[in-house]
Amino acid sequence: MDIIPQLVLNSIIAGSIYALIALGFNLIYGATKFFNLSHGVMAAIGGYTVFYFAKTLGWNLPLSIVVGVLLAGLIGYALDKLVYFPLRKRKASNMVLLVASLGLFTAIQAIIAILFTSQFQTLSQNISGQRIYEILGGVITQTQLTILISALVITVGLVLLLKYTMFGKAIKAVSDDEEVAKIVGINTNKIISYVFFIGSAIAGLGGILVGFDTGIEPTMGFALLLKGVIAAIIGGVGSIYGALIGAFLLGFVENFGIWQISGEWKDAIAFILLILFLIFRPRGIMNK
Amino acid sequence: MEYLIHLAILFSIYGILGISLNLVVGYTGLLSVTHAAFYGLGAYATAILLTTTGIGFFLSLIIGVLVAIITSFLIGIVLSKFDDDYYALASLGFNTIIFALFLNWQSLTRGPLGIPGISRPELFGFDFSSNLSFLILSLIILVLIFYISKFIVNSSFGRVLKAIRGDEKAIQVFGYNTAYYKLTIFVISAGMAAVAGSLFASYITFVDPSSFTVFESIFILAIIILGGLSNMRGVILGALFLILLPEALRFVGFPPDIAAQMRQVIYGLILVLLMLYRPQGLLGEYKL
Repeated sequence: MDIIPQLVLNSIIAGSIYALIALGFNLIYGATKFFNLSHGVMAAIGGYTVFYFAKTLGWNLPLSIVVGVLLAGLIGYALDKLVYFPLRKRKASNMVLLVASLGLFTAIQAIIAILFTSQFQTLSQNISGQRIYEILGGVITQTQLTILISALVITVGLVLLLKYTMFGKAIKAVSDDEEVAKIVGINTNKIISYVFFIGSAIAGLGGILVGFDTGIEPTMGFALLLKGVIAAIIGGVGSIYGALIGAFLLGFVENFGIWQISGEWKDAIAFILLILFLIFRPRGIMNK
Repeated sequence: MEYLIHLAILFSIYGILGISLNLVVGYTGLLSVTHAAFYGLGAYATAILLTTTGIGFFLSLIIGVLVAIITSFLIGIVLSKFDDDYYALASLGFNTIIFALFLNWQSLTRGPLGIPGISRPELFGFDFSSNLSFLILSLIILVLIFYISKFIVNSSFGRVLKAIRGDEKAIQVFGYNTAYYKLTIFVISAGMAAVAGSLFASYITFVDPSSFTVFESIFILAIIILGGLSNMRGVILGALFLILLPEALRFVGFPPDIAAQMRQVIYGLILVLLMLYRPQGLLGEYKL
């Protein structure tokens, strides 16, 4: 078997996962202009909600997934209402918001670990029974195909939402200039809290899909967050297309990097890519 | 009694970490989330040198400080290009890279297995193997670091640091090379963190990568933000509080692994609450 097609496929799958995190992250950054580090833990919330409802309570899977996505969205919404909105109202600096989001991240991750133990768990019922497809000489599992399709559908959905609905245009207006958006009569705080809901729900879905593909553990959010943030920055922070391009670029660099070096260095490779970008093109690929 | 001594030793180690990080975050206004990396460099230098060569603890401590100084010099050059939230994010990246080194450079660090059997310090035939003598040693070092830091921040050099925190552009107009000041204080702070690392390795007699994650950096950040940025006594208070708190939880009767997670929940929430209600911490003189 040739290794290149498989590597390309793996890169695309990794890119799709990173895109699911980076899209929401960039949407939130666009509206609020701060690095919301609690974003990663939404993925863990999504994954663990499905784990709880489907595996512990025995609900059917599609329903559990819907609950997982909604719960991640709601918690994102609640965090905005309880923490980020009061801080924004007080005109707190970005650093204050960043530290608060770090604190939320640490606390929620530990709460998940207390509720579900720190053990690694998997969401899929029968790993061996998964259907496997062959594309261009590489293999892809059904879950991975779902990840790829979800990332595509959500990106297209977001682009359509932002371009063709009033709500989407309001989000864009807030991202461009919150003060002006307020002046023309947009309820910016309401828009921002909806953005938190949407972004967190997408991250929740990302976490659920990762749970089916590899598995869930309380710290999964941190790893995903880092990759999502790196993807967002190298693509261009605040931009939907930027998140997508950054995610796939990161997926490719990582997978081809570990092919040349070795698997354990994946995170280090990702961060070296980030630091190179920060030095030479700090505003990312999309932003001028 | 042994137990109180144990807590007092931990307190002095975290006191050193807090005081040194405060130089960068509190006095200079740079939100560094990579302190655990330098702490780890010191710990690993002592661990490796004491288990493989015949040199003593104090020489290993000096070598650890040198390693941290060289590493932080290189990292600091890159970081000097950033400020505010990008600085925080890039520094977090460096913590991840150095953590990956501890974990994956197996021929040197034994990776996740860690390095056991590190001996206690010895000076002129006097042996610090009892916990009480070790406590005295670490308290002496804590006091030294405290006064060195106090000397730095009260010197003309320290006043430039505070001016950078206040308004970097303005102080540049007066002809100060701010990049040089920021790099110098970053390197000094890293060297001090390495001292704490050497003490930690020799006291616990075992190191593994899990002690030097990003969450450890966040913990140290929580200490100084709680106590108060830019206030030495505040840091001591913060360290005391956050060291004693998990012990109080243990007394309440939580099992150890849950108590460890509770510690994270609490310091995460402390960060959030402080950001919401008292961003300068208990005794702080500077708000983020």
